Amino acid sequence: MLSIAEKVLFAIAVMGSASLAYRGFSNVVKVIRRGTGEPLKVDLDRFFRALGQWIIMKPIWKTRTLADVFHVMIAWGFVFYFLVNLGDVLQGYFPVQFLGAGAVGVAYRFLADVFSVSVLVGMVWFLLRRFALGSRRQLVIRENVKVMEAARAGGITRDSVIVGVFILAHVGFRFLGETFTLAQERLHTGHGDPGQPFAHAVSGLWEGLDESALVVGQHVSWWLALGLILAFVPYFPYSKHFHLIMSGVNFLVKPDRPSLGALDPVDFEDEALEQIGVARIEDLPRKHLIDAYACIMCNRCQDACPAYVTGKELSPAALEVNKRYYLNLNLAALAAGEASAETMLDFALSESALWACTTCGACVDICPVGNEPMFDLLHLRRHQVLMESAFPQELQPAFRGMERNGNPWNRSAADRMAWAEGRSVPTIDENPDAELLWWVGCAPSYDPRAQRTAQALAKVMNAAGVRFAVLGGRESCTGDSARRAGNEYLFYERAQANIETLNEVAPKRIVTTCPHCLHTLGKEYAAMGGAYEVIHHTQLLAELAAAGKLDLPGGEASGAVTFHDPCYLGRHNGVVDEPREVLDALRLPVVEMPRHGTKSFCCGAGGAQMWKEEEPGAAAVNATRFDEAAATGAQTLAVGCPFCLTMMDDASKAAGEGMAVKDVVEIVAERLGDRA
Amino acid sequence: MNIAVCLKQTPDTETRVQIAGDGVSVLEDDVQWIINPYDEAAVEAALRLTEAHGGEVTVFSLGPPRVEKALREALAMGAHRAVRLHADAVPADPRVTARALTAALRDGGFDLILAGQQAVDDDQAQTPQRIAQALDFACVTNVEELTVEGGRGAARRVLEGVQEVSSFPLPAVLGVNLRLNEPRYPSFKGIMQAKRKPIDVIEAELAEPKLVVERLAYPPEKAAGRVFEGVEAVPEVVRLLHEEAKVI
Ligand code: SF4
Ligand code: SF4
Repeated sequence: MLSIAEKVLFAIAVMGSASLAYRGFSNVVKVIRRGTGEPLKVDLDRFFRALGQWIIMKPIWKTRTLADVFHVMIAWGFVFYFLVNLGDVLQGYFPVQFLGAGAVGVAYRFLADVFSVSVLVGMVWFLLRRFALGSRRQLVIRENVKVMEAARAGGITRDSVIVGVFILAHVGFRFLGETFTLAQERLHTGHGDPGQPFAHAVSGLWEGLDESALVVGQHVSWWLALGLILAFVPYFPYSKHFHLIMSGVNFLVKPDRPSLGALDPVDFEDEALEQIGVARIEDLPRKHLIDAYACIMCNRCQDACPAYVTGKELSPAALEVNKRYYLNLNLAALAAGEASAETMLDFALSESALWACTTCGACVDICPVGNEPMFDLLHLRRHQVLMESAFPQELQPAFRGMERNGNPWNRSAADRMAWAEGRSVPTIDENPDAELLWWVGCAPSYDPRAQRTAQALAKVMNAAGVRFAVLGGRESCTGDSARRAGNEYLFYERAQANIETLNEVAPKRIVTTCPHCLHTLGKEYAAMGGAYEVIHHTQLLAELAAAGKLDLPGGEASGAVTFHDPCYLGRHNGVVDEPREVLDALRLPVVEMPRHGTKSFCCGAGGAQMWKEEEPGAAAVNATRFDEAAATGAQTLAVGCPFCLTMMDDASKAAGEGMAVKDVVEIVAERLGDRA
Repeated sequence: MNIAVCLKQTPDTETRVQIAGDGVSVLEDDVQWIINPYDEAAVEAALRLTEAHGGEVTVFSLGPPRVEKALREALAMGAHRAVRLHADAVPADPRVTARALTAALRDGGFDLILAGQQAVDDDQAQTPQRIAQALDFACVTNVEELTVEGGRGAARRVLEGVQEVSSFPLPAVLGVNLRLNEPRYPSFKGIMQAKRKPIDVIEAELAEPKLVVERLAYPPEKAAGRVFEGVEAVPEVVRLLHEEAKVI
């Protein structure tokens, strides 16, 4: 127990710390509330779901297993320490044993002992990792990426050291305090408390000290352990340790999106609409302001980012870091409602970085705290295109094409069915009873290479007796490229027109050739009044194969195949098994690339990159991915997306590897031979 | 500096032209209408000049109500006002068009009158010259670089083997080509503002046409391309290029 003087002093310290901390915390709340969008909704269901995510930290377990294990040792220990600190304060003020001497108390003290050591071990590993282990390189953000001076010049390192030393010292002194307590017990009873095995063992060091020395040791440790918390709390909202709370908040408020990358529509009918997209940090939706506070600066997103990995100026981690440092540096002014002096393009990322994103979604998928850096980029693009008309020049013809002729190639709408000439491809007017509406897509309609995919699918569906129809001249671009390039208005116009057509046709089910159409029609139109059941052609093929409708002859034993998961098929739509089932049905040996399934690496075409030059960097995304495919030794690289097809085909030709690049349906159609 | 831009609404260059039943006009049903790309470059040039020197850009177009879409697009790019010279149909005789435009432009006090050097639909390439002639202003066509300073303009043109820079006093009439600039893509802000800008409609003064279109017909089908394979085919290809295509 503390002396009266100590009790008074501690109470004063608590009040001092709380009043200092209050400013910081309330400013953070004010800043987040300045964010745009719907007020954050929370219900009990969500609360328990988020709590569960927060405690088991499910989103973490995707990469870096070693770090994750050490992290869990610290995190669970630290959470348990909320209880420990409460107990210690109570024991300081009152002559009680926290949770008593019974089984509960024994269990509590055992856990406290074990967690103390697990936190200490974990924290030592993390500090070693930051300064000594080889994996410290994961924590570096390359020089060509914009990082705010305050963060670059040791800011992140300093913060990490402060947090690390705080945790070590806080837990360390608490643990020491226990050893002094146990040593005192031993003086009185002749034995300590073997129920706290670690503290018990260490308390042996104090053999020979007299009681008064032990009491001093106990009190000093108590003060250091709890005093450090009081000293740290006001700094907490500025440090990355804040992720401890904000990750939970993030899980709590993250919207239930139809897919990980589905964007919210903008209501262009709204007369009052003036600001579209994001220019300044306070324009961000609340959720994406919280991202900045939840970010633990682990750079997992950066490692997964095809733009960063190939040397572009973009790092999604740097974006979150810069947001956070900007908020920290301008917290009071922003909380007071002032407009920020700089735009996000001034401090958070360069223009080249903004246009380097392929919208592959890997950053969103991998982030352990539920951040969505890709959304920030898309909001920024919206502003650049719609408010500033500032975007890479090469996108203009694609925009014009979508706007005027309903396809980004800007080819005549009258040529949409040219690929089908001489084939049995009925339009919905010719076959109104079709059970399946085939949304062919622009690339398969116009791109000479991708047309072969469409022709193959027509052949396979006809052979399997699928009663399908296409929209023919009534089909037009879904607007995915426009939307991902920030041209939300153009997307809106395209979506309105297509939804009108589709609602009139009212298809039972839609199959798409292209994963981008799959995503837009299946995941994004619903929010605008067009809800349809949409599948990808590889899903249809898997269905047909399972139903025995693909009468596949044995064929010659061909070589191994590796399947490149298109981002918008695997990660964005969760379709990873069906394409492989089809290859299995063909009895083709499938060899996987290291990055596959939902961890696939982008081909480089998404996010409207297809229509522009790649941003400057060290390597081309498609070449990087192709090398990975070639390294499997497979003879064929199978894809399921016309854009991937183009990118991989180009890379294959450039590499001269002689690896065949084919859509899955082309492989199926070849097997059918001339019988269909 | 106040600038007038004459623009024509033409079918998108990708449009499959369909000849109407009368045999002298094209069907307008499935046509995607755009600003004639040459005129779009003229709008862009006018906007850049007023952004640098101040003043306003007024766009003029002759035709039925459908041409207001093109005017709206120019307003979305940033033009300040728009005037539609009403006519039930766009005249086929460039003389009629030029005279109607001249009548509307004459008292506008414009320092510069810009137009595309030709329209992608009829390729007549007469409007700027005819307007300049009627107003007795200097006229330069095929302009691909343009500067204005101290009441004089300078235009650069690329000719066979040389580049020519000429200067002229304002006011003047210029016919511009596609190499002049990359027209801007209207921002959403621009599109919204354009919705609020009025378009003045005045009756066009239409003269009796002297030129009459007698007949429209589709061009002869191009013969299908021929594919040759292997080195052995080279002599044959050379012979055909020489004798049939007459290119070598
Ligand atoms: S969406 Fe993909 S390319 Fe864009 S920032 Fe995230 S990881 Fe990088
Ligand atoms: S955004 Fe997520 S993955 Fe990226 S650095 Fe921050 S916490 Fe790590």
